[in-house]
Amino acid sequence: MVITVRNPVGSVLYFILSLLAQSILYIQLSGLFVAAFLVLVYGGAILVLFLFVIMLLNIRHADLGPEAAPMIKPMAWVFGVVLLAEAVWVAMGTKARFDGVSENFGSVPEVARLLYGKFVFPFELTSILLLAAIIGAVVIAKRTLS
Amino acid sequence: MINITPLIPELFLLVMAIVVLMLDLFSSRRTVVVPAYVSMAAVIITGFLVFKFGGDAVRWGSNAIFVADSFSQFFKVIILGAAFLAIGSSFGTADRMTHHRGEFFALLLFSTVGMMFLVSAKELILLYVGLELTTIPLFVLVAYQKTNRASSEAGLKYLIIGAASSAILLYGLSLLYGYTGTTYLNEIAQKTAVYFLSHGFIPNAEGTTDLVGMGPAFSVALMMIIAGLTFKLAIVPFHMWAPDVYEGAPTPITAFLSVGSKAAGLAAIIRIFDGMLYAFSHDTMPNDSWGTMMAVLAAVTMVAGNIIAIRQTNIKRMLAYSSIAQAGYILIGVIAASKLGVASCGFYMFAYMFANMGAFAIVGLYAEKTGKKNISDFAGLSKTSPIIAALMTMFMLSLAGIPPLAGFMAKYYIFAAAIEAGYTWLVILALLMSVVSLYYYANVVRIMYMVDSDNKHHIIPSFPAGLVLALTGIGVLLFGILPQSILDMAYKTASSFIF
Repeated sequence: MVITVRNPVGSVLYFILSLLAQSILYIQLSGLFVAAFLVLVYGGAILVLFLFVIMLLNIRHADLGPEAAPMIKPMAWVFGVVLLAEAVWVAMGTKARFDGVSENFGSVPEVARLLYGKFVFPFELTSILLLAAIIGAVVIAKRTLS
Repeated sequence: MINITPLIPELFLLVMAIVVLMLDLFSSRRTVVVPAYVSMAAVIITGFLVFKFGGDAVRWGSNAIFVADSFSQFFKVIILGAAFLAIGSSFGTADRMTHHRGEFFALLLFSTVGMMFLVSAKELILLYVGLELTTIPLFVLVAYQKTNRASSEAGLKYLIIGAASSAILLYGLSLLYGYTGTTYLNEIAQKTAVYFLSHGFIPNAEGTTDLVGMGPAFSVALMMIIAGLTFKLAIVPFHMWAPDVYEGAPTPITAFLSVGSKAAGLAAIIRIFDGMLYAFSHDTMPNDSWGTMMAVLAAVTMVAGNIIAIRQTNIKRMLAYSSIAQAGYILIGVIAASKLGVASCGFYMFAYMFANMGAFAIVGLYAEKTGKKNISDFAGLSKTSPIIAALMTMFMLSLAGIPPLAGFMAKYYIFAAAIEAGYTWLVILALLMSVVSLYYYANVVRIMYMVDSDNKHHIIPSFPAGLVLALTGIGVLLFGILPQSILDMAYKTASSFIF
C-alpha cells in the first residue's frame, strides 16, 4: 500500500502501519527492546517528521504528475509473483538450522553489549557516515546566497 | 583491550577530512588552494601510514574484523592514488564553484576512508557500513553542480539505483548470516564448507552419491551479493547508471568514481568470493559455484561495453562504456580464483588507474578551457597542444592494451590467469573484444592527429593538473616497460588468501 497509494500522506501512514506489524514480529521473537525502539524512533519520530515535511510541501494532486507508464503495472505484478515464488522456493528448499538465541536476546543490556562490544567499529563508523550525510545534505539543500 | 594500530591510517585521514572542513570555515582567503593542498598532503601521508602500520589485524576474540594485510595495502595505494589524482585535477572545477569548496574535498576524503574500510573489512557489517560510507558522499559529489541539470539528474539516478543495489546486497548478506549464524568472513568460510561436506552429498540407490549442494537460499544469497557488488563495478546488467552518472558528474568525480570506487568494489568482491567462498569457485564444487555466474557476467559485460562504446559521440560517455568493458576484463581475474588471478586483478587496477585518471584529467581540462565535450571537438589538438595530444594517445593506447604501455602487461597477466584456470573461451572472447575496443580508442587518436580544424585553443594546464598529467603519463609508460616491481607486490597480495 505504501507504494500504490498516490497521496503521499496516505503513503506515510501505511508505512507506519507496516512498521507496527514489523515490531509485532520482533515481539514474537522476544526482542522487546528492538520492537519498542522501532515504534518509538522510527514510527514515532522519523515518520511523523516525514508527515510534517510532506504536509509542509503542500503537494496538490496536479503536482504528482501523470500515472506511471502503462507497462509498469503488469510488469510489477509479474516480477512480484516471480519474487514471491522464489521466496517460497527458498524457504521450502532450505533446511532451517538456526542456532538457538541466547536467553536474554533482545534485552537492553544484550543490545548494548553487542553495539559497544562486538560491533563497536561498524557502530562508530556509522557516526562518521551520518556526519558525511549531514554535510552532503547541507551542500545539496542550502540555497545559494547571491 | 582491542589493538587499534592497524586503523591508524584510516583514523588519520578521517581527522584530516574534518580538518579540511574546518579550514574552509576559518580561512579568510576564499580560495580553493588551501583545502586542496591540505587534502593532497593528507592523502600522501596516509599512504605512508598504510605501509607503516600494515600487517596486523584488529580482532574481536579470535576473529579478525579489520585486516591490514598486503592485499588491502595494495588496494589502498590504488585508492589513495586515485583520490590524489582526483583532487589534483579538480582545482579548476572547484575554482568555478561559488560555494562549498571545502566540503567538496572533505566529502572526497570521507569517501576515500569508506573505501579503505571496505578493502580491509573482514566482517560483514563493517563491510556494509564501509560501502555506505563510500557511496553516500559520492551521491553528493556527483550532484555537486547544483545549477547544472545534468549533474543533479546524475546525482538522483545514482542515489536511487545505488540505494536499491545496496538493499539487494544487504539482503544477500543477511541470507548468508542466516545460513551460518556469524558475520565474520573466516567463520562463514569454515561453516559453509563444513556444511557442504556433511550435507552436500546424499547416497543414492546405485551406491554413488548425488550432489544436493547448499540449497536454494545459498544460491540466492550468492546472486544477490554478486548483484549488489557488481553494481559498484558497473558490470552489465547492473551498469545502467554508469553512462548518465559519468556524463553528468564533475569530471574529477567521474574519474574518482571509475577508479577508486571500482577498486574498492573489486577488493570487496575478491575478499568475499576468492577469500571467503573460495570453496565454491568453479571446479571444486560444480553446483552452487559462483565462477560460472561471474564468467557469464564478464562475457556479457565485455561485449556490451565495447560495442556500445563505438557508437558514442560524447567523450565522457565513451569513456564510461570503455570503463564498463574494462571492468569485464578485471572480473576475469576474479573468476580465475588463483594466486595469479588475484595478482593480475591488482596489477590491472593499478595500470587502469593511471590511464583512466589521465584520460579523464585531459577531458576535464579540455572541457574547462573550451566547454566542448564531443570526441570530434578534439580535432586538431595535436597542432595546438602537441604534448597533451601525445599524452592522450598514450592513455588511449594503454586502455586498449598496446605494448609497451602498462595496459598491455595488465591484460596479458589477466589472460594468463584465465588460461591457467581453464577459461580459454573467455580469453578468446576478451581478445576479440580488445580488437573491437581498439577501434574507438584509436578513433580519438585519429581525430586528434588526422582531422584538421580551425581549433585555436592552446591548452596550458595549471600546476596541479600538470602534475597529475605528468604522474599518470610516467606511470603508464614506466609500469609498461618495467612492471616487475609492481607485479611482485601484486603477487605478494595473493598470500592473503588460501588458494
